[in-house]
Amino acid sequence: MSDLQIYLTVGIFAVVILVIAFDLLDLALAALLGVAAMILTGILDEKDFLQVPNIAAGPIALLFGGMVVAHVLETTGFFTWLGTPFLRLTGGSGKRFLLMLVAVVAVVCAVLPNATTVIVLAPLIIRTAQALGVPFAGPMILTAIVSNAAGLLTLVGDPATFVVGSSIGMTFGQYLKQVSLGGVFAVLVIVPLLPVLMPEVWKARQELKPSGPAARLERPGLAALALLVLAFMVVMFMLGEALPVRVLPPSVAIIAATFALLLVYSAKVQPVDEVLRAVDWKTLIFFGAIMCLMQGFTKTGLLQGLALQLYGWFGTNYTLAALAILAGVGVLSSVLANLPVVTASIVMTKGYLVAAQAVPEMALSSEFTDWPVAVIPVFVAMMFGGTLGGNATSIGASANIVSVGISARYGERITFARFLRYGLPVTLAQLAVGALYVVGMRWLAA
Amino acid sequence: MRINWVIHGLVRALIACAIAFSAHAGEVTDGVKSRGKLRCGVSNGIPGFSMPDASGRWSGLDADFCRAVAAAVLGDPAKVQFVSLKSSERFPALTAKAVDLVVRNTTWTMRREVLLKLAFPGILYYDGQGFMVPAAAGVKSLDELKGATICVEKGTTHEEQLIDHFAARGAKVEPMVIDSSAAGVASAFFSGKCRAYTSDASQLAALRSQAPGGAQAFVILPELISKEPLGPVVRRDDAEWTSLVRWVLYSLIAAEEGGITRANAKSAVAQARGPAMRRIAEYQARYGKALGAREDWFVQAIQAAGNYGEMFERNVGAESALKLERGPNRLWNRGGLMYAPPL
Repeated sequence: MSDLQIYLTVGIFAVVILVIAFDLLDLALAALLGVAAMILTGILDEKDFLQVPNIAAGPIALLFGGMVVAHVLETTGFFTWLGTPFLRLTGGSGKRFLLMLVAVVAVVCAVLPNATTVIVLAPLIIRTAQALGVPFAGPMILTAIVSNAAGLLTLVGDPATFVVGSSIGMTFGQYLKQVSLGGVFAVLVIVPLLPVLMPEVWKARQELKPSGPAARLERPGLAALALLVLAFMVVMFMLGEALPVRVLPPSVAIIAATFALLLVYSAKVQPVDEVLRAVDWKTLIFFGAIMCLMQGFTKTGLLQGLALQLYGWFGTNYTLAALAILAGVGVLSSVLANLPVVTASIVMTKGYLVAAQAVPEMALSSEFTDWPVAVIPVFVAMMFGGTLGGNATSIGASANIVSVGISARYGERITFARFLRYGLPVTLAQLAVGALYVVGMRWLAA
Repeated sequence: MRINWVIHGLVRALIACAIAFSAHAGEVTDGVKSRGKLRCGVSNGIPGFSMPDASGRWSGLDADFCRAVAAAVLGDPAKVQFVSLKSSERFPALTAKAVDLVVRNTTWTMRREVLLKLAFPGILYYDGQGFMVPAAAGVKSLDELKGATICVEKGTTHEEQLIDHFAARGAKVEPMVIDSSAAGVASAFFSGKCRAYTSDASQLAALRSQAPGGAQAFVILPELISKEPLGPVVRRDDAEWTSLVRWVLYSLIAAEEGGITRANAKSAVAQARGPAMRRIAEYQARYGKALGAREDWFVQAIQAAGNYGEMFERNVGAESALKLERGPNRLWNRGGLMYAPPL
């Protein structure tokens, strides 16, 4: 890539982000225009379009699968049926609703990917918010934020944590010992912010009508089968990779979506065309376009090129380097997809550690796993930055994009600025907690 | 009518834009051409290989090779941005795309090529790991260094090979691994912190030429404990760039074999006497573009650095302060290992 193309890439990216931020154009259209500009300026070529699916196909398949399964469940009346006891549990209190939401999302995220969690829980959350007479945009944003933070709870909770962990050969058990507690803190720090960020929901009190006859499932048989598909999806997410024929989460989502479509087709509830029309294609296209833009950005090598700069700035002070990486990756992940950001940051961080001679040159290879304890916090900082930074804006994580898309379909538009009002304070608090955690790790490693 | 005209103009502009920016050669070649400069990673000061003088002008075998590549691509050997790198920085700089090429006394190994996803286009200097000791110590062979403290630079292949060599002979040495430049390790050795200094034999000779008290105060032992084929390194993801660098290296060797020198390169190729010269003249023009280089890349490279023999003698051989023997770096038909495939 020439210098001119590097400037153009950064310029195109900046323009797309600004256009979305100031709500000048539809976000999907803005992202597609950015992709078109990159194609016409030779930044993206056919090789790139062959590479983009490597990163984008998985998350898009997950989103598609989750959307189809959630829609099929909705046709059974499942969410209305579940919504009544959920509403009762809130006792009509907005405060209890928000606390329950944090707990439920964190637990569900342990078994479902972030964006899928948002898709599956969205109908329940929106119905409850409507029943409490509060706007649902805040709770939907909260759902996305909690799901992103909960991604830190396990190694496989978020693609970013998984990619960073895998790059240093970290096992599931090692992750639980070294990083999961930080994930718990990242979720808990949201709670004290709720009364300030969402006072209208927090203070809401709604007198619930005395319980009448419980809502009935419209199609109990179909609901049972649809739940079976959901259960299959959950079990396969957890066990699929250990099977003799490896089935990765995106493939599981596609299989589950196919089963769900088969159900509605067999039961003649809806034509398949109608179910597919209910899929939020705009969100999927926006996500794909953002991934294409990221491919252009990754090609510039700007992030990787910081490896020697980091060494120049911080030398062998790994604590400072870790904090800088946490902040830098956090800021970048707030406007760029976190997966490509952490992928490029891994190259940068490994390069820095090799240049600083903390590890031998072979550490640049993916085969190297003999990482000294002293440098592990540098990678943990990257996990915190990549996972939590995305909470700041509506385009920072796939779960955010999905929550914005669903809210729009249900009639509440979440602009970039509106999301930022909730996301930024939470992100700052979470990154501060992450920084303290990383400093603590460094202190223990010393 | 007006709208059609505007749309028509817009489409034409977009197509022109797409054609102007469309990629053709390798990504690195494109970058070098658009930047107008080759970013070449070199050492942070090894006489004979890459060393800046007081005015900041780099000289040495590695530096000259950078110039030959720049001349082949850009037509000007001065269009090189030398990036001084510690040995531990060379591969991060390359993988981070901070440099286009590393020519920094780097040993070609399978491990580096396979695990670090690098490509070694060829061998610029056949070397081996040697040992330097103070002449006054009277050490004549490696056996006398058993148990000795030996200075070695961190981040090189020498550290591991040093331990392996003595361990295989049931002996131990105390490696003093120094996190610094080659000059920094030499300084520790010259100040008496270790009994011997191990590195590439050529590098030892280079550093000995700057030794306090003169080169004669130190001896390089005749035994070599490893093969160290040194050469340029590029990233493996750009096969076209690898080819270009490889054929610049081979052009230098082929020129020596064909009697083409820095002084006569232009006229020899222009006159094209004999089948070999005719082939060079024809192929450089015909395949230069496909190589991502200029149509006169062969002549440009030789004019920039001289043929391989000239480069060697000027920088590390008889005409230099190092006065190294050519040894295995002689041409294949003169008892050496330097061999260029036909163009």
